[in-house]
This record gives sequence, C-alpha cells and structure tokens, in this order.
Amino acid sequence: MIALVFALVGLLALLLIVYLAKGHHATGGDLDELAAQLKPVDVNAFRNLIDEREEEFLRERLPAPEFKSIARERKLAAIEYIWSAAENAAILIRLGEAAKQDSDPAISSAGEKLFENALRLRLYAFKVVPRLYLGIIFPSAGPAPYAVADAYDTITRQVVMLGCLQYPTRGMSSAL
Amino acid sequence: MFFLGYYYLWIAPHLLLAVVLVISLRRGLHRQLPIFYSYAAFELAQFLTLFTISRVSPFPDTTYRWALVLGMVIGAFLIMAVIFELANDLLVSRSSLTGVLRPLLRWATAALLLFAAIACAILPALGVQYALNMFQLLDFTSSLLQTGLLLSLFLFSRALHISWRSWTVGVAVGFGINACITLATAALRAEFARSGFIAVDITQMAAFHVCVVIWLVYLFLPERAPKLAGRGLEKSQMEFWDQELERMVRR
Repeated sequence: MIALVFALVGLLALLLIVYLAKGHHATGGDLDELAAQLKPVDVNAFRNLIDEREEEFLRERLPAPEFKSIARERKLAAIEYIWSAAENAAILIRLGEAAKQDSDPAISSAGEKLFENALRLRLYAFKVVPRLYLGIIFPSAGPAPYAVADAYDTITRQVVMLGCLQYPTRGMSSAL
Repeated sequence: MFFLGYYYLWIAPHLLLAVVLVISLRRGLHRQLPIFYSYAAFELAQFLTLFTISRVSPFPDTTYRWALVLGMVIGAFLIMAVIFELANDLLVSRSSLTGVLRPLLRWATAALLLFAAIACAILPALGVQYALNMFQLLDFTSSLLQTGLLLSLFLFSRALHISWRSWTVGVAVGFGINACITLATAALRAEFARSGFIAVDITQMAAFHVCVVIWLVYLFLPERAPKLAGRGLEKSQMEFWDQELERMVRR
C-alpha cells in the first residue's frame, strides 16, 4: 500500500514539474500586455487600513462585536491590497529583468534596482499575508505590514525613473 | 527482441550523454555548471565499468552489484551537488534571494531526509542480500531527495516569477523527470520484489533516456533573454504611476 502511495506521489510530482517547467517558456512578452495586467494600488488607502492609531480609534468608539467585524473586514481588504501589490511586483520583476539586459548602463542599473525591490516586495507579501490571516483569527497577533507600503513606494519611484531613462524625450508623465 | 531493447536502453542514453558532453564542452557551457559535467563524466565512466563487468565472465555477480551500489552512492552525491549548483545559478545576481533560498533548501533537505528515513523503515525489504537492500534504500532515498528539492526550486522560481537560463532549466527538467519516475518505480520495486525487477529497470532506463534527450534538446534551444516588445504602457497606466509618484512627493 505504502509503495503505491509513493508511486502516485512520484507521478504527481512528475506532472507538477512538467507544468512548472512549461511556465518558464513564458518569460519575456509584450509590454502592452504586461501593462494591461497592472492593478491600481492606492498606497494611502492601504496605509490607512493598517494604521494602528486608526484601529485604536475604532476600538474606543465602537462596541466590541462591531469592532471585531470591522477589524476583520479591514484586514481582508489589506490582504487584497497586498496581493494586488504582489501581482504588480511580479510584472515589474519581468520589466526589471528585461531592463537589466539593456546596453545602456543607466537603464541596466535602474532595471537591476527595480528587479531587486520588486522581488523583495513579493517575498515580503508571501510572509505578511499568512500573518494577516492569523491576525483575523487572533486580533492581537501580528505586526502591521508597513514595509509593504514602503516597498511599494520605492518600486513606484524606480519604475518612474526607469521610464525616464528609457523614454527621455517624452518626459516623466509619459515615461511609463 | 527483448534483449535488443534492453541493451538499447542501456547503451543509447550513455552515447547521447557523451554527445551532450562533447557539444557543451565545445560551447564552453561546462563553465556554467561544472558539477553537472563532473556528474556526466562520472556517469559515463560508471557505465563503461558496469558494462565491462557484466560482459566479462571472470567477474562474479556480487562484483557487479557492489560496483552498482558504489556508483549509485557517488552518483547520488553528485546529483545533489548539481541541484545545489542549479539553485546557485538561480541566485546569481539576485542578492535578495540568497537569504531566503539557502535556508529553504537546507530545511527542505533536512525534512526530506527525515521523511525518507521513515519511509525506508516502512517499505518492505527486498531480500536477504545486503547489496540488494542497500541498492533499494539508495535508489528510493536519493530519488525522493532529488524530487523534493527540484520541486522546491521550480515552485520558488514560479512563485517569484524569476527565470532561469534555458540550459539550466533543461538540466533541471531532465533530472526532475528522471527523479520522479525513479521515485515511483523504486517504491514499486519494494512492493513487487524480484517479480517486478525487470519492469522497474526498463522503466528507469527509459526515464534516463528521456532525461538525456531533454538535455540534448535544450542544448539546441536558443537562450531566451527576457525581452519585452510593445508600444509602452497605456495612458491610464502612465497617469496611475504619476499619481502614485505625486502622492509620494507630497508626503
């Protein structure tokens, strides 16, 4: 019986490896398609959602059951924001990787920085989301994920800078 | 006819491996994954040794079995080293990953080893011969470790949307397919004992054949540099990034 279980595990692992390896062929692509996949993330609204003073304010003014329900909603909304930021980061990782190959050292360096920060943001999102879910079950657990907002700000700045380097004649607003 | 097929599956993958070795040495790819080339050279040497022992009558069966077990131990260590080399390739110039991937691989190895030890204790023994039992243990443990680690690497790169170089992906896919099929068949070998030996051997040899063919195919695939084409972002996206920037400046 145990042998059959391992045989099945082996076959499932084989299918998974083939599926994951196929995904590697998707590298590169159309900039317009990638851009269309970007999701707007309002960093200020996100900061507001994770603001501890705001939470304290609500705790003082609302009855306990109502506060619990609102706090839960706020955390779920924060998770939505973090996923959107993480998905944008995945797109920016590809943009950064492509920019890294550029012959212009300024663009290559900007791409490198964007790539590193987008990667850091995505890694951080993977760490923070389980903590936020834990925070829904145990409201006192888990620190607020301020680093996501900061990291998102940083990569936003780097995307704009990269755009300026790649399209200097169009100016900052049209760079991206 | 059966023996012809058996010898084909034994000899052909090693001939193709020699071709892979020669082509990639000519292209200088050995500098990219030096441990992989050590493994390939060792695999060829092991094949020549085992083939000679099996064809030359003065050697008893036990010599062949122990040579096989010894080769398997060295081969398993070399494949593990290749997997860590592939992980290293994934980390090159990605400093933020180093701190995450290294401990992840360390923990995955430790957990897989523990799991393999428990599984080996549960799996039925093949027989009274020490060499045979050692062979089963090694076959199962090494394939379980390889499958687990390669899956971790693929999942990690997929979750973070980072890409490997073509040749590196090819090496990883080849090893992955071989390890998965070996894992599945090694477990079945324990279940069916001697009656399933030939079927398991043939399946594993076929898996290695597929693995070498994948390496050969990836040698000829062009390197996929991450390039992007298109007109640029839409106006709405430009405005969105601009707004983000303005908010940041105002703060």
